[in-house]
Amino acid sequence: MTERDGGRRPREGRSGTVPDDADAGVRQSVDSPLPSSLVPLEARRLSVHFGNRSALDCVDARFAAGETVSLLGPNGAGKSTLLKALAGILPPSHGEVRLHGRAVRRPSSAIVYVPQRSGVDWGFPVSVLDVALLGRGLRRSRFAPLGGRDRRDALDALERVGMRHLAAVQIGQLSGGQQQRAFLARALVQDGAVYLLDEPFAGVDVPTQELLVGLFGRLRDAGKTIVYASHDIAQAVASSDRIMLLNRRLVAAGPPARTMTEANLRAAFGGQAIVPVASSAAS
Amino acid sequence: MSGLGDALVEPLRHAFMQHALVAIVLVGVICGVTGTFVTLRGLAFMGDALAHAIFPGVVIAFLLGGNFLIGALVAAVLVSLGIGAVGQSGRLSNDTAIGVLFAGAFAIGVALISAQRTYTRDVAGFLFGSILGVSRTDLLLTGGVGVLVLLAMLLFRRELTTVAFDRVFAQAAGLNLWAWDQLFLVLLSLSIVVSLQTVGNVLVLAMLVTPAATARLLSDRLPVTVLVAALLGAASGVAGLYLSYHVGIASGASVVLVATGLFALAFLFAPRTGVVTARVARRLHFPHPERDAFAAEGNRGMGYGDRV
Ligand SMILES: Nc1ncnc2c1ncn2[C@@H]1O[C@H](COP(=O)(O)OP(=O)(O)OP(=O)(O)O)[C@@H](O)[C@H]1O
Ligand SMILES: [Mg+2]
Repeated sequence: MTERDGGRRPREGRSGTVPDDADAGVRQSVDSPLPSSLVPLEARRLSVHFGNRSALDCVDARFAAGETVSLLGPNGAGKSTLLKALAGILPPSHGEVRLHGRAVRRPSSAIVYVPQRSGVDWGFPVSVLDVALLGRGLRRSRFAPLGGRDRRDALDALERVGMRHLAAVQIGQLSGGQQQRAFLARALVQDGAVYLLDEPFAGVDVPTQELLVGLFGRLRDAGKTIVYASHDIAQAVASSDRIMLLNRRLVAAGPPARTMTEANLRAAFGGQAIVPVASSAAS
Repeated sequence: MSGLGDALVEPLRHAFMQHALVAIVLVGVICGVTGTFVTLRGLAFMGDALAHAIFPGVVIAFLLGGNFLIGALVAAVLVSLGIGAVGQSGRLSNDTAIGVLFAGAFAIGVALISAQRTYTRDVAGFLFGSILGVSRTDLLLTGGVGVLVLLAMLLFRRELTTVAFDRVFAQAAGLNLWAWDQLFLVLLSLSIVVSLQTVGNVLVLAMLVTPAATARLLSDRLPVTVLVAALLGAASGVAGLYLSYHVGIASGASVVLVATGLFALAFLFAPRTGVVTARVARRLHFPHPERDAFAAEGNRGMGYGDRV
């Protein structure tokens, strides 16, 4: 927690989401265009359909280097769908995803994606360390075993998620929260520019939550882009630079204080009683 | 001593036994390695299906006088593509797709070969193998294909492992799931094809699944599991052949029976995970107040506490 607070910088001027159809009465934060070097990842008029049902409708979003963005919205809002489309594993029906200014049609090693639920076979004969090393294996020569440096990086990543003492344990013998952290370690070993995490805070205890917040803070300070979906509004407000409110369409995006207005929350979550966090001056 | 030595050496005087032993060791190793991935991915039914689906390919190659290996491979690839297409359509499960296609393919093979005069003998050879008829050429072919399969598994170990373990991650890391699945199915088909002559179509599944399952009971690490499965496959093969020679039972069946026996042993007595071993371990480790009090008492001077 403490290192996260220390590293906190105001970044009002850098947040940038440029929606192309601003609903009347719903506040959008529209900033001046950013140089593309600061925008590793961008979604342009992104739409995803499943059959004839639309899950995402014309979403525009830009994600800067060194920022933490949380995606909020009700169940079925399209948060997971947006993250998968950004990761390049779900082809959009319309629009495109751009990485460093270039359209991406295939998954890229610069983008690290951590799914909502890992559908892995928990009985698979791999240890926690093996799982972390998977983050490196595909990028190393197939003619040689992984080197000592890769092992050190993997152990280091396990240390950072507090799992080093469990490195030799078979993956199925961990608790749910520990399994989640093992996959997070693998994501760290992948060392991408952009981290897309689907509900990383779901089902973890308070110390782990704090550990994750600290971890994301350090990644952000190292210039990475972190985008995560969440249902914990207070947590998102407290520890992200920007919030995107999603409900099939992009409802609003911007710094927490300016985005979490009553009108926006109502537009995103419908009639549910959610206390707005933004001050009245913000809307 | 000499009795046992004789029992081991005497069969080796026959060239057919030498060939059979080399063949079964090759098959045991190849099937152990690919079979580990078959069991990990739950593809046992798919393996059985491929073993049957290969039949029409073998028959057509036989009728045309071509190479049976090529015929078998073409059939296996076509059937696995068909299963993929039917399974992906969404309405039918993969299982159903496998069932429909493999039975259909097998029927084509039976229909074609039933027109031949040597029908019964040919089918029996395919179903149960004819290990004692392995020629030098067969050995070279088995060895060549085996080396190819093992090299491919070694070179692509990380991709195959990643695709088997975590498909979403594999996809996000840029692997084409469909292409890697097909590659694995081709390697699996090759393993099955080279095993048909030695163990036959009906029992090849056991060579794929049983040693790998035993190995999994004995190890929690993938490389170790693969090695142990290969060793167990080869060992069951050799032991089974000797058993078949001395007792006079069908070689394919006796190889599989040895493999199954080893599985049963591991299932019951594997360190930590065995059914019996785990029970004994619980007895030893679980706190048992009366027993512990009794032992403590003994230690304090009743004189028999230091006995085990
Ligand atoms: N594979 C799929 N096939 C068909 N429809 C899908 C599929 N995946 C998602 N959908 C639909 O797309 C919509 C958005 O789903 P998505 O998983 O993105 O929501 P979410 O915001 O992540 O919700 P949650 O908070 O429950 O995780 C939902 O209406 C869902 O029914
Ligand atoms: Mg979701």
